[in-house]
Amino acid sequence: MSFRDVKTPTRSLPAALIAGVFLILAGAFSIVSINVLGKSASLGFLPLIVLVLWPRRANEMASIILIFLAGLFTDWAVGGVVGQSTLIFTIVWIFFRPEMREEPYAFLSLFIIWVLISLLAAALISAAGWFVYRVTPDIMALILQFSVATVMLPCFLLLRRWIAQLYGNGDEWGR
Amino acid sequence: MTRKDRTYSGWTRVALFVSIGLSLFLIAIGRAGQEGGTAGRVMAQESAAPLAALVSIPVQSVENYFQKLADRRAVYEDNLDLKAEIAVLRERQGRYENLAMKVARYEAILGVDTETDIPLRKIAARAVGESDGPFVRSLLINVGRNDGVVIGNPVMSTDGMVGHIINVGAHSARVLRLSDLNSRIPVASARTGATAILAGDNTINPKLSFISQRLDWKLGDHVISSGDDGSLPRGLAVGIVIQDENGGLRVSLDSRKNPIDWLWVSPFIPVAPPLDEDVVEADPS
Repeated sequence: MSFRDVKTPTRSLPAALIAGVFLILAGAFSIVSINVLGKSASLGFLPLIVLVLWPRRANEMASIILIFLAGLFTDWAVGGVVGQSTLIFTIVWIFFRPEMREEPYAFLSLFIIWVLISLLAAALISAAGWFVYRVTPDIMALILQFSVATVMLPCFLLLRRWIAQLYGNGDEWGR
Repeated sequence: MTRKDRTYSGWTRVALFVSIGLSLFLIAIGRAGQEGGTAGRVMAQESAAPLAALVSIPVQSVENYFQKLADRRAVYEDNLDLKAEIAVLRERQGRYENLAMKVARYEAILGVDTETDIPLRKIAARAVGESDGPFVRSLLINVGRNDGVVIGNPVMSTDGMVGHIINVGAHSARVLRLSDLNSRIPVASARTGATAILAGDNTINPKLSFISQRLDWKLGDHVISSGDDGSLPRGLAVGIVIQDENGGLRVSLDSRKNPIDWLWVSPFIPVAPPLDEDVVEADPS
């Protein structure tokens, strides 16, 4: 038995499945838009919150498959560039590996990671959109999407804590 | 926050490469314009529509609250404007009735019918989702094929034209908004009849391209659909001509005046090209 075998933690399939379902739901909700005081912002960054809060020790292979399917569903539901969300979700997951954190995030760490993930996603959205349409993205739309999702982040944290308590396995879910 | 070692097992690494490769492939075929998956799109749209409708209930309550606040703040100015507008419209109504009588008489003499072809039937719909992303401007509505909606039908709000149907499922449909990058519709000036193409560019005010007679366009002109390509009826209210900072003509869309909630689809039947068997070749002799 190698050192790496000892270090490899148990990977939970139900945690990945539930997170995957939430990612698909967030993809469906991302077609909703909020119009307030003449400004319109869609919930396009909502799935990124689910990725940031991906359960600790979720099964890796199931996570990758579910993230790809959720991305495809999101692209189809939103009517945007097909492949864009699958690429963004997968790359965000590879770079930040939220499922590998050993301890729950402190709020400040979570916020910094959230901002970094949003920046990476915005860059990828812009690159994919430019590749397909040959136009620069509407930066204001991206900023508004980020702002709306940031306001909603604490609600998702509470929701996640509630699910973790419901399933009673804090080690898999954490915060 | 601490992390475990950052290596993946062999199969996980393969899955990640496949996932990224497939995504890039899908984006590439999307660029080549050979994007398939229409059935997948419709399926996703059909399942997302009821979920979005559920979420949009509290969202629309918040929107309505802010809209009411804005309306109340402007109530005095609006009242003054409306009084002034009524005075102008009363005078115009007399002229309009006189003209309508004249036109009807001319039509009777010439034996023609120049009435607009906007269908009287309307299919009421609710906008359950709105994509206002960095590249896409579309709406998801809760009526579809079962309600009589077909691809190409114009979609209207109480203020004016919103867009047209590009994708239809059994119970939902996707509307391409006039401001979307891919939207192109033939329009005309209601004042002069001069024609142009209204081209969306993902800004709030789409631009007027291919203007036929530049001098026939003035700031403040009402823009309507011209019906030139036969796919839209003539006379749908679109917006008002404005000028951008570079001197180009753009259209301030009527449908942007209020948040979009209730809409109607106009079940317009486009002018169909003649079928091959109906075509009678001209006799060369």
